[in-house]
Amino acid sequence: MTATLERHAPEPRTGPPALDVRGVSKVFGTGQDAVVALDGVDLSVAPGEFVCLLGASGCGKSTLLNLVAGLDRPTSGTVETTSARPAVMFQEAALLPWLDAGRNVELPLRLAGIGRAQRRERAQELLALVRLEGQADKRPHELSGGMRQRVALARALAAATGLGGEGKSREEAGVLLMDEPFGALDAITRDVLQAELLRVWEATGTTVLFVTHDVRESVRLAERVVLLSSRPGRVVREWATSTDTDAEELHGDITGELREVISAHGR
Amino acid sequence: MAAESTTATDEERPGPTDDAIDVGRGLDALDTPTEQRTPLWKRFLTGVVPPIVAVVLFVVVWQILWASAIWPEFKLPSPEAVFGTIGQDFAEGRAFDIIWTSISRAVLGFLLAVVVATPLGLLVATVPLVRSAIGPILTGLQSLPSVAWVPAAVLWFGLTDATIYFVVLMGAVPSIANGLVSGIDQVPPLLPRVGFAMGASRSQSARLIMLPAALPGFLGGLKQGWAFSWRSLMAAEIIATSPSLGFGLGAYLNEGQSLSDMPSVMAAILLILIVGIGVELLFFRPAELRVLRARGLATGP
Repeated sequence: MTATLERHAPEPRTGPPALDVRGVSKVFGTGQDAVVALDGVDLSVAPGEFVCLLGASGCGKSTLLNLVAGLDRPTSGTVETTSARPAVMFQEAALLPWLDAGRNVELPLRLAGIGRAQRRERAQELLALVRLEGQADKRPHELSGGMRQRVALARALAAATGLGGEGKSREEAGVLLMDEPFGALDAITRDVLQAELLRVWEATGTTVLFVTHDVRESVRLAERVVLLSSRPGRVVREWATSTDTDAEELHGDITGELREVISAHGR
Repeated sequence: MAAESTTATDEERPGPTDDAIDVGRGLDALDTPTEQRTPLWKRFLTGVVPPIVAVVLFVVVWQILWASAIWPEFKLPSPEAVFGTIGQDFAEGRAFDIIWTSISRAVLGFLLAVVVATPLGLLVATVPLVRSAIGPILTGLQSLPSVAWVPAAVLWFGLTDATIYFVVLMGAVPSIANGLVSGIDQVPPLLPRVGFAMGASRSQSARLIMLPAALPGFLGGLKQGWAFSWRSLMAAEIIATSPSLGFGLGAYLNEGQSLSDMPSVMAAILLILIVGIGVELLFFRPAELRVLRARGLATGP
């Protein structure tokens, strides 16, 4: 059985990488209790590329994402990004419960000192992009889990792209870091949101680094799947996907390799 | 693997189809939480009627006890005598002066306590060294009845307003500061992280994320702080009486005792109770309900 992927063919990408991780190691604790979370990780993501970081628990994929986001510092190695600040999306929507959806999306623009009229207009645009037009005045508790996660996506896009606008280059389209953003959702909602994310990614040209432990999710979404080993986290292998990739075969390949990595810990 | 082949065929289509969009809309409609608001008459019936019935019953029992004359009149006056005293005090205008003296002090003392407790709470919540140094003391002070400060305050400040305000401050500051600390402690750690990831500076994070997030806890502290202000003030007014201190509800109560005028004593107790409850119902309850409802945290009507 063959199943090709739902994405369009990627455009050729030139220029410096949007995100460049060089020889990054991260050690938590010191002495005997020290845990090596990441060990000499190299990863380069081109502007506009969609990369999935895949690994079992404890592989340091969230640690790597935090380092790229600037929420933590590497023990050694360097992390460089072209965009000033990559936006982050977590498993929980983490919306501010006292602000309505529109103001939540506006928040990163407000932090950047952008005026009210402009940021309100941009928030409307982004909410429409995630199919939440007309929901701007709803509070988070009045929205479903999937809708909240879409508000979080719109907010992350606001953080990554600022006021957006036409004629921006790929470098200015921002970097979006996603830490298992659909992990807490039910299967049907997750399926719908994955399709939405692909649509939004194609519409905005944003660079995406997406952390997941779900092989099927990574095959469906990413142009490139990067497998990390656990304790210490190292890049084990990479798979590129393209429109004529056989999804089932790739899924089998990656699952096999992932099982191999996990079983190595039981021995 | 029949199920998997269906998903695979779905994935063959590039981009979301009309069908997928419909599924998304359907999910939104199904999963959106529906808020059920109880109608006004029902809230009136369950929220307002029971306490009124309870008060009426209480007065009826009181009237029966008085009529049965188990206790002498000077120990248990009739409800009529007590309400008559209150009515007369209002008619003469004396009650307004007495209540105003106490309320203005309590409000001023409470505001002073807020001014002192807010930076103190922020400091304890955010600086670990300060927390380990004075956090336990602050919690301990909450269980120290502030009336214990009256003798010390009288010796330090004499029979002046400073004594009264000192006692009120010692009563209210720990509650308000502790409320703010627990409010900040209960902020989910993800919120400041998200703020930082979006580029918030320290002051932006404090102003736009931490303080609003801590507001429910802080309001709880303020409410408790008001209750402590009020009861500390009454303790101070009852013990420290002097013409130089003005004539508040506490002094009124004290006067009733010295004159063995039971209706006055009970009238004073009732007025103290009514003012305390009134301020809570008029100011703190609506503010708290508004904040909690905006966050979807309100329980009950």
